[in-house]
Amino acid sequence: MSGLQVQLRSSSPIRLAAEFDCGAGELVALVGPSGSGKTSMLRAIAGLWTPPDVQGHIRVAGQDWLNTAAGVQLTPQERRAGLVFQHYALFPHMTAEANVALAAGAGWSAGDVQALLSRLGLATLAQRRPAQLSGGQQQRVALARALVRVMPEPEAASSQALAGVLLLDEPFSAVDAPTRQTLYRELAALRQKVSVPMVLVTHDLSEARRLADRVVIVDAGQTLQTGEPARVFASPRNARVAELVGIQNHFAGRFFKDHPGWGRLCWTGAGQGCIELSVVDKNKIDDGTPVTWVLNGEQVDVLADDAVAEPREAGATCLRCQLAEVLPLGEISLCTLIPQDLPEQRITLNLTTRVLDRLKVSAGCGVQLLIAPGALHIMPVREVTV
Amino acid sequence: MDWSALNVSLVLAAWTTLVLLPVGLALARWLAVTCWVGRPFIEALLLLPLLLPPTVIGFYFLVALGQGSILGAWLAQTLGWRLVFTMQGLLLVSVLVNLPFMVQPIQRAFAAVPHSLREAAWVSGLSTWQTFWRIELPLAWPGLLAGMALTVAHTLGEFGVVLMVGGNIAGETRTLSVSLYDKVQGMELQSAHVMALALVGVSLLALTLVLAFDRVGQRGRALQER
Repeated sequence: MSGLQVQLRSSSPIRLAAEFDCGAGELVALVGPSGSGKTSMLRAIAGLWTPPDVQGHIRVAGQDWLNTAAGVQLTPQERRAGLVFQHYALFPHMTAEANVALAAGAGWSAGDVQALLSRLGLATLAQRRPAQLSGGQQQRVALARALVRVMPEPEAASSQALAGVLLLDEPFSAVDAPTRQTLYRELAALRQKVSVPMVLVTHDLSEARRLADRVVIVDAGQTLQTGEPARVFASPRNARVAELVGIQNHFAGRFFKDHPGWGRLCWTGAGQGCIELSVVDKNKIDDGTPVTWVLNGEQVDVLADDAVAEPREAGATCLRCQLAEVLPLGEISLCTLIPQDLPEQRITLNLTTRVLDRLKVSAGCGVQLLIAPGALHIMPVREVTV
Repeated sequence: MDWSALNVSLVLAAWTTLVLLPVGLALARWLAVTCWVGRPFIEALLLLPLLLPPTVIGFYFLVALGQGSILGAWLAQTLGWRLVFTMQGLLLVSVLVNLPFMVQPIQRAFAAVPHSLREAAWVSGLSTWQTFWRIELPLAWPGLLAGMALTVAHTLGEFGVVLMVGGNIAGETRTLSVSLYDKVQGMELQSAHVMALALVGVSLLALTLVLAFDRVGQRGRALQER
């Protein structure tokens, strides 16, 4: 049993229902809005926070760090958690090297610590105090201090199995954008060398998407959905997840079964109107169920108003819209479209300037949207939550 | 210049600081981190010597530990301790009235150490005791120095409680401030001038040191917050 398994439940002082795991060498991102409890989950893993009424377990490489059933609760000192704090929490009165050496176990000689600092590009900065380092450099020192807790000890007699986890609490939020790009690359490079479970807390979706093997969507102390970023972003489990992962085009509707394998999505607005869209029936949703549905803009083709729509894919629906607003944002433009048959609804699409030029359209023009069944993701309105 | 009085003052200041430092350190660290509901009451109790007239403290001291009291009689009989009109008694009361001067700056210094640094030390494998010695104390030392300087200055300047508890025994309990009072009473103004100036000088030096240490502490905090 390798990796990290977390299963926590508590009701006070905050409600917590966390369940996720992270394999050795895997990077899992806990994503959620501020105050969603993702940092609390990280602190619970490190042993810095334990709700008084907690039930569940935290297991690392088969070892219990917390197991309420067995009455096991290790102290932060006994857990091998390398934690990078949001603002680094470097010891201000110590040099970079001393900060790292303090956390290093007996199996780390001074030379080993220096070698690690060199690997992170800190060789010439080892004797500086945190105040004399830039934000990015401080972040690297904090990372080195966390790494010595979880990497195998270079001088250890036997190569013992790794039993640590690397925990990153919004480590990129306090540095400027160019430094962040460099640090992203360094984290990716580091993952080639260190194979411990890594848990990253972030509220930045694109960061999670870029860095993580899997994301865990966290809201109000609950882990709502776990999966590969692309999968979670394309098919959120429920409307709340869709909202949290920043999907703009989510709408209400009703699902009806059609001929075998196919269904009809009836897009309903506030009024009487209805637009029917063909969808694939996966036999997961009953006939006539009210649904929330998501339109994945990346799989929508835009055609000129007078073009002859030739469905390249079976079941694609052609939708006539009016281009209400075009916001140019460099290479892409944020476009707002109004469907002809549901004028109070709005579709938001990111279209490249090239596409807009080719279509020769601007705000006020009509266009046609060719919506393939794969661009539609349907969820029952009320997901039974645990 | 009354050299023996200066000597008594300096000895008293040194012992007061020495005895008060560990006591103040323990109290200040505890007050800086505790969430106990009774904390404001303890803090008020420690600040009381700042507000009360020294005569009130001196009076209660005499009532509690004088020869006529049960505790005072017991101490005299079993341990041979006489606390009224002796250096030992003076030291005890001096420690009590100096508590706020030692505890306040140290408590502020410990409270200014971000809690995340303690947590960072714990996850780095340091015990609470190691965290105290290697992280908290080095960061709080400007507060310790400030507390010591204030205690020395305040002990040298204390008058009322010294007169009530210590009396005015030359070479034993007659401090510089008491001697100054004597000289003024005896119209020896030349001598009084010298001693007054000495007290002004020492106090000014101590306060300058306190403020300088405070700046060091503030700079340290500013660095931590960067």
